[in-house]
Amino acid sequence: MVDQTSSPPKVRTDEALKTDRLTRTLDHFRREWQIYAMLLPTIIWFVVFLYKPMYGLQIAFKDYSIFRGVQGSPWIGLEHFQTLFANDSFIRAVRNTITISFYNLLFGFPAPIILALMFNEILHATYKRTAQTIVYLPHFISSVIIAGIVITAFSPTVGVINTVLGWLGMDSIYFLTQPEWFRPIFVGTGIWQEAGFGSIVFLAAIAGVNPSLYESAVVDGANRWQMMWKITIPSILPTILIMLIIRIGNVMEVSFELVILLYQPATYETADVVNTWVYRQGLQSGQYDLAAAAGLFNAVVAFVLVMTANTLSRRFSRTSLW
Amino acid sequence: MAGVSLRSIIKRYGALQVVHGIDLEVAEQEFVVLVGPSGCGKSTTLRMIAGLEDISEGELSIDGRFMNRVAPKDRDVAMVFQNYALYPHLNVADNMAFGLRIRRMPKDQIATTISETAEILGLTDYLDRRPADLSGGQRQRVAMGRAIVRHPKVFLFDEPLSNLDAKLRTQMRAEIKRLHNRLGVTSIYVTHDQVEAMTLADRIVVMNDGRIEQVGTPMELFNNPVNTFVAGFLGSPPMNQVKGVLTETGARIGGMDVSLNGAINGHAGRDVIVGIRPEHVMLEPGDATSSLPIELDLVEPLGSEALLHARFGQDNMVFKADTNGEIAHLSGVKQVHVPADLIKLFDAETGRALELGA
Amino acid sequence: MKRLSLIAGALATTMMASPVLADGHLRISEEPIELTIQMNHARYPIYEEDWPVEQVARELTGIHLINDTVGANMRTDENTGRTEALNLMLASGNIPDIVGSSRIRDFVNQYGPEGAFVPLNDLIAEHAPNIAAYYATRPDIEAAVKASDGQMYYIPYLPDGKYGRAYWIRTDWLDKLGLDMPETVEEYEAVLRAFKTQDPNGNGLADEVPFFARQWPEVVRLVTLWDGRAHGSDTYHDFMIEDGKIGHGYVGEGYREGIKNLARWYDEGLIDAEIFTRGSSARDFLLSENLGGSTHDWFASTSGYNRLSADIDGFEFKAFLPPASPSGRRIEEHRRILVKPDGWAIGFENEHVVETIKYFDFWFTEEGRRLANFGVEGMHYDMIDGKAIFKQEFLDAGPVNRSLYQVGAQLQGRGYFQDYNYEIQWSNEFALEGIALYDTMPDLLIPDFLGVAFNADEQKVYDRTWGTIRDYMLERQQSWILGNGDVEADWDGYIAQIKSMGWDELIGVMQSAYDRQYGG
Repeated sequence: MVDQTSSPPKVRTDEALKTDRLTRTLDHFRREWQIYAMLLPTIIWFVVFLYKPMYGLQIAFKDYSIFRGVQGSPWIGLEHFQTLFANDSFIRAVRNTITISFYNLLFGFPAPIILALMFNEILHATYKRTAQTIVYLPHFISSVIIAGIVITAFSPTVGVINTVLGWLGMDSIYFLTQPEWFRPIFVGTGIWQEAGFGSIVFLAAIAGVNPSLYESAVVDGANRWQMMWKITIPSILPTILIMLIIRIGNVMEVSFELVILLYQPATYETADVVNTWVYRQGLQSGQYDLAAAAGLFNAVVAFVLVMTANTLSRRFSRTSLW
Repeated sequence: MAGVSLRSIIKRYGALQVVHGIDLEVAEQEFVVLVGPSGCGKSTTLRMIAGLEDISEGELSIDGRFMNRVAPKDRDVAMVFQNYALYPHLNVADNMAFGLRIRRMPKDQIATTISETAEILGLTDYLDRRPADLSGGQRQRVAMGRAIVRHPKVFLFDEPLSNLDAKLRTQMRAEIKRLHNRLGVTSIYVTHDQVEAMTLADRIVVMNDGRIEQVGTPMELFNNPVNTFVAGFLGSPPMNQVKGVLTETGARIGGMDVSLNGAINGHAGRDVIVGIRPEHVMLEPGDATSSLPIELDLVEPLGSEALLHARFGQDNMVFKADTNGEIAHLSGVKQVHVPADLIKLFDAETGRALELGA
Repeated sequence: MKRLSLIAGALATTMMASPVLADGHLRISEEPIELTIQMNHARYPIYEEDWPVEQVARELTGIHLINDTVGANMRTDENTGRTEALNLMLASGNIPDIVGSSRIRDFVNQYGPEGAFVPLNDLIAEHAPNIAAYYATRPDIEAAVKASDGQMYYIPYLPDGKYGRAYWIRTDWLDKLGLDMPETVEEYEAVLRAFKTQDPNGNGLADEVPFFARQWPEVVRLVTLWDGRAHGSDTYHDFMIEDGKIGHGYVGEGYREGIKNLARWYDEGLIDAEIFTRGSSARDFLLSENLGGSTHDWFASTSGYNRLSADIDGFEFKAFLPPASPSGRRIEEHRRILVKPDGWAIGFENEHVVETIKYFDFWFTEEGRRLANFGVEGMHYDMIDGKAIFKQEFLDAGPVNRSLYQVGAQLQGRGYFQDYNYEIQWSNEFALEGIALYDTMPDLLIPDFLGVAFNADEQKVYDRTWGTIRDYMLERQQSWILGNGDVEADWDGYIAQIKSMGWDELIGVMQSAYDRQYGG
């Protein structure tokens, strides 16, 4: 708006107003250009890696040929989506994705929080640092190595798990070929790999809690357990909710590499997720258009979930992503 | 109600000793203020009393009970923190009830206590608000409310007013004083603000560098500071301190002789610091006054009084003078007069107060 | 380019002594022509212009290949040499004059008809007498190369030699336990059981793994021991061809019988308990740990494990004939396929199409084929009694295939006809002995399914049905072997499920594509 207080009120033409506004905008940029220069890399990143690729999403509605290009490929409407939903194994993959994600959320989401709370209770500095380093480590190991470790650990002949079962007098189980074992192993592996690293953000939130809250509680007579429940957890609740919303947004993104590395045809029944299905059916045979359609479906589901979670969170806890 | 007794309390962090042996007896119902510059150990001492810090050496007893190893919750003390330490996720009532719930007080009893306390503090209308929706003064009151509902033997205040603006601080200061008068609970109050100390305390404990400099009623400390530190710390503006030498008849400062009350008794020639309170100078000569020529620098009117900033020889000095409603007459001041009986002497080397013989 | 010409010139001078170079009958163009090439393969991510083979080919033909490969990952361990580089090339909008790659067939058969690659039928007929002559002798291979529009879009790499994999067994264990070489499936089973129960490695533990495999589908291949079929070509789980009819092993009666028995073997511990997860190091680990008894694997690489006799007393791992099925039939289902989907094609922007096809033809001449197989005469091999014989120092310089790749020979992104003599020279005695043994049974090998090229409609049916059906088949297959379900009890439901997934439609389009391509 034009600033009326700096100049005496007088009738101005639209033209004059426009020039005025333009001059002031230019002035603004001249004065603040460094700030915009700093903003530029982020904008470029968004445009190049996020917005430009959206243009390519249209191949989900096209009979795409790389040679013909996005422009040259003919439109075929919703055919790819019909193909997807007419396919029982795709439906199964969607169901598996959601189930695995649900377990991930149910067991995997609280894990880093619990870990962070536990770290917070360790008072010995060296012991705490060592423990933290140990649980952060798996995050930095590549999925291929992780899968190797898991396969070895669950091996029916030399695996640790079966060795222990053997001591307990139980028969060894070929875990990685049993559909009912895939999800526990997969979710457990995910927790083992990521819980430590994921706890960092909660530890940071805990570090941000005003220490005098605890002192006050100590004087009031609270024990550590009560302080954790009545101070720490409520204080980091906003962080927990934000992380939860973000996590819900990634519900359709089950760790693809790890599934590929750990599953078998024998465990497709519980292990095959949308991304692996797309990989086998789409990318391996060059059906990029079908893969794009599945990806778009994933994105829409995730979008709806995030919107819902965010709205619920805003309504009930005043915490929200936006 | 109970007294608090500190005997040779020492606090060390590793090799670093920060509190060097505090001896202090706080009587029942007394309001004691620990005052001193930041880093003087006053908060550490308070936190040792609360049990938030271990006592490295010495003995602490509350109500005659040895407390060194007793958990904070069992010391029956309540503490009010500088930043209020309110739980942001709880409303006012729940904040105040926190300690009571932890102590498993029956629900109806909690409710009564809360409403009584809220009434005293004027918080009745705010009981279901969250701390984020309260003003600074209200938050401060909630923090006090949380301490009051516990009915502790001792209140501990850790700079409770330092986050408030000046006006609110004066108001809350008075409220604290009234509360203490009403509840009569032994209170130990830490502040770096000497005005708060003077106004609130039954007795003031001036601390510096981990040691107690002086303990006494506000007026004792004001009138008879034991050393230059206390003299410089209490009073607003603080006491003027000028280097000088004792003569056979008095003291010589800045080339001027001032007469003193009392006998020099062979101390002549000794280097001293002469202390003159700003409010003790007179513009007109009186009985047994010595005059000091000054170069007036600046006049700051405060209303009924004005501050005269002046140079006396090499030293800057500040004096207080009545305005009688206007300051015109102050601009021409060329000299001030100090009564001999109000001049303080301190040893130049040790800073300790010198008492002249009768 | 100047620099390269200079090198080529210098090389040419040193080669002048060679008689072949003197006459110039292979020269395609008097003026040197430069053609750009994309060549990406797992073992050679780009086309190296200073490969000696390229230098000689340049001198002989006047065609200079200039590397223009995009999408190559120079870390060869991450470069699969498959379609990702081709897709990147296409996405970049620029197709070089020549495109060579492994797995190129489906790629050119899809994008050739769209105009990305030059159709080759007429060009071969007019300008490529050597290629045409080869196809005249093998019309089946010519048919296999064609796209659904009847055109050829690439010149394939044609492997030579018959045998790929064979059955292998620890003959020293047989001797130790006093057993004969198994001739039938019953005897084979007895031998495996003896391996499991009689402690042939003598460590006092029943830790022997009687049958193991680097690739778990090799276990499924064992259904051929009960007259079943598993893999119709060198691609696992592929369709098969029998009397001109397309079919699939995984719906056959023999397969059902075979799986039933394999489940029994697995349960009894005759098959590696970790068969599905042990992975590619299985052979290396189990043999060097003195645990593995028998496998089904490649002649050349597996025979090499006899070097373990240095560490394991008496170690001897030999090929044996496929055990006879209950009906008395012996088959070796795996063989070297006659034509690979690898080779090279001409990009649509190529301005020297005729010279290019002539250049492709050069590699099918006697000299060109020798160059592609053995490298450069005098450098890597010598002609002795009319045969190319590798120099001893070349054979001694590490793995021979790797050495050949490094000089630009045996490139499977190049269309050429392999000469099996190249491999015989460095195959070890155990491999040669095994091959000789397999050669005693002329009917051991069965025809491979060489693949079909779909038209757009057929492709859609295939895309829609096959992936799902294959997943289902493999799921059931593994479950049955692992004992999670009984193949006999489940069989009718299994067949019904496959039918409901569109099996008949799938086989229909496979058959129509096959008939069109091979003139069924």
